[in-house]
Amino acid sequence: MKRVVLAGMLLVLGVVACGGGTDDAPKKLRFALIPKSLDIPVFDYARIGGERAATALGVEVIYRGPDRPDALRQKEILESFITQKVDGIAISVLDASFLASTIDRAVEAGIPVVTWDSDAPESKRVAFYGVDDFESGQIMGEETAKLLGGKGAVAFITSLGANNLQRRLDGAREVLAKYPGITVIETYDIKEDSVRTGEIIATGTNRYPDLGAWISVGGWPVFSANALAPVPPTTKFVSFDTVASAISLLREGKVQILLGQKYFGWGEEPIKILHGIKNGNPPATTIVNSGVDVVTMANVDAYEASWKVLAGGGQ
Amino acid sequence: MTSIWRAREFSTLVILVLEVVFFTWYLWPESGGHPFLNVGNAMLILKYSSIYGIAAIGAAIVIITGGIDLASGAVIGLTSVVIGYFFVEAGWGLFPSAMMGLLVGLSAGLVSSWLIVGLKLPPFIATLGVMGIWRGVGFIITEARFYDLSARLPRNWTVAGVPIDWVPPIVMVVLVVVFQIVMKQFQWGRSIFAVGGNEMAALFSGVRVGLVKTTAYVSAGLLAATSGVVLAIVQGQGKADLANGYELDIIASAVVGGASLSGGRGSVAGAVLGALIFGVLRNALPQIPGATFYDRVIVGLAVIVIVVMDQVMVRKAR
Repeated sequence: MKRVVLAGMLLVLGVVACGGGTDDAPKKLRFALIPKSLDIPVFDYARIGGERAATALGVEVIYRGPDRPDALRQKEILESFITQKVDGIAISVLDASFLASTIDRAVEAGIPVVTWDSDAPESKRVAFYGVDDFESGQIMGEETAKLLGGKGAVAFITSLGANNLQRRLDGAREVLAKYPGITVIETYDIKEDSVRTGEIIATGTNRYPDLGAWISVGGWPVFSANALAPVPPTTKFVSFDTVASAISLLREGKVQILLGQKYFGWGEEPIKILHGIKNGNPPATTIVNSGVDVVTMANVDAYEASWKVLAGGGQ
Repeated sequence: MTSIWRAREFSTLVILVLEVVFFTWYLWPESGGHPFLNVGNAMLILKYSSIYGIAAIGAAIVIITGGIDLASGAVIGLTSVVIGYFFVEAGWGLFPSAMMGLLVGLSAGLVSSWLIVGLKLPPFIATLGVMGIWRGVGFIITEARFYDLSARLPRNWTVAGVPIDWVPPIVMVVLVVVFQIVMKQFQWGRSIFAVGGNEMAALFSGVRVGLVKTTAYVSAGLLAATSGVVLAIVQGQGKADLANGYELDIIASAVVGGASLSGGRGSVAGAVLGALIFGVLRNALPQIPGATFYDRVIVGLAVIVIVVMDQVMVRKAR
């Protein structure tokens, strides 16, 4: 019996060894695409973008990330890709200072790293692709000021601790400060909890029934129609993110302005940059500003049509 | 009358009333209507507190047996996902979808109790494992997307003529009354206290300890799933990471409401009052300008102060 088992093991080893030696095909480039967290819906569009780039460029894209925003888990995933010696890494960084040394280690090991959505500017990453968050915040501020005709009370919704959200907040506040008729009455911290968002909006509406506008620097309020139900028609709503539920809310008049990031580009563009680096074409600039889409009732039809094409994997 | 003053829930109720009086005073407006003390705001507190309060009934039952259930947040999240899947993806009606959601709680309770009673695992470890598995199943079903129930639910709808926003508090009140009576007046409730007070003595007294524990975890699972149904309807979403970390708030509600982590003592009515104490804090603190930066500290301090106050009041009552 022992001989049979031994013979079987040798046979398996032999097949594996022979299989490894007969592959003469050119090596396919392998790139890792790491989101901040798998539980944030918009990152799934980055995955679709990454898959499209993989098909177009003939490379392999491995999409892997922590199941919740956990910087230590993201570091572990990043280290595993360094150990696997992938050809390049595209990462949306959860904690820039925490991950900078690991990104540096990847670059020193000959693996180019491109950050997307959320940058690690102190690291040796080759490039960053994403929005200028401060500029996005400024756009939110300007659009809100226009909606309010330069006067009224404004409340912010954010989640404290995230650098990109803070930059948006700073940008919007800077713009609104130029309008003497506009008062920022509160900045609410929803602690990355969708349920808490609905509770805060209801409580805030109850506290400030004459509120001019809400500005949400993240997309939590527009993931469901229920969170905005208590907001009266006299209060304007400006929010980040353009998922399907947000578009419906815009059409219903519950939201007036939406800012959409280049979600599909998050996955597609960094892979293209990495592919270029591996083929001797590094990016011309280290910061690639993706810009934002400002969606209103005036352009929502065109935006939705282009979204459907991108979500289907088209260009 | 003396029994009311000595009731375990009375001290928790006093703390809740003091809290409401404090915020009523602190937020007293210079003019116009009161932003905190009004019917609309009270309904808001009740609506959101019911998500925690319903599950806290189950948490209290399990804690009284001397156990702990860390899976309640994951059960709530997965229930919302399962309802979303059947209601949005499969096109089922809301009621059968909600029934499928309740199966999540039933299965969680059965698995937890099998691990604890059958395999003799410590409840902390068993429910920690179930928490991870149930949360993971939610991610597998959704693949990190979410189900938008709100798109299929009519606006301002009613259930038997009752506005939907009133339904969660009504469900919470009905459940707490039923379980309070069952815990005090029925053999099952007395067995729960007996098992938590002294498991060996309960066993020698003829109490079927394994069965009692199993029914306690199954009840907790079903109550957490009921919270999940409420959450899916209130939030209008089925999302794998909903109620992330809520298990600690739910356990804290039960403890603030008088449940002893060493077992044998506690109250389901106290647990709901505990959930309301946190609900008032969650509602009132954002109404104080600038408090959003301090509310984590305030809530943490509040837990300690409330439990100390509660213990002092209980000692004086004796």
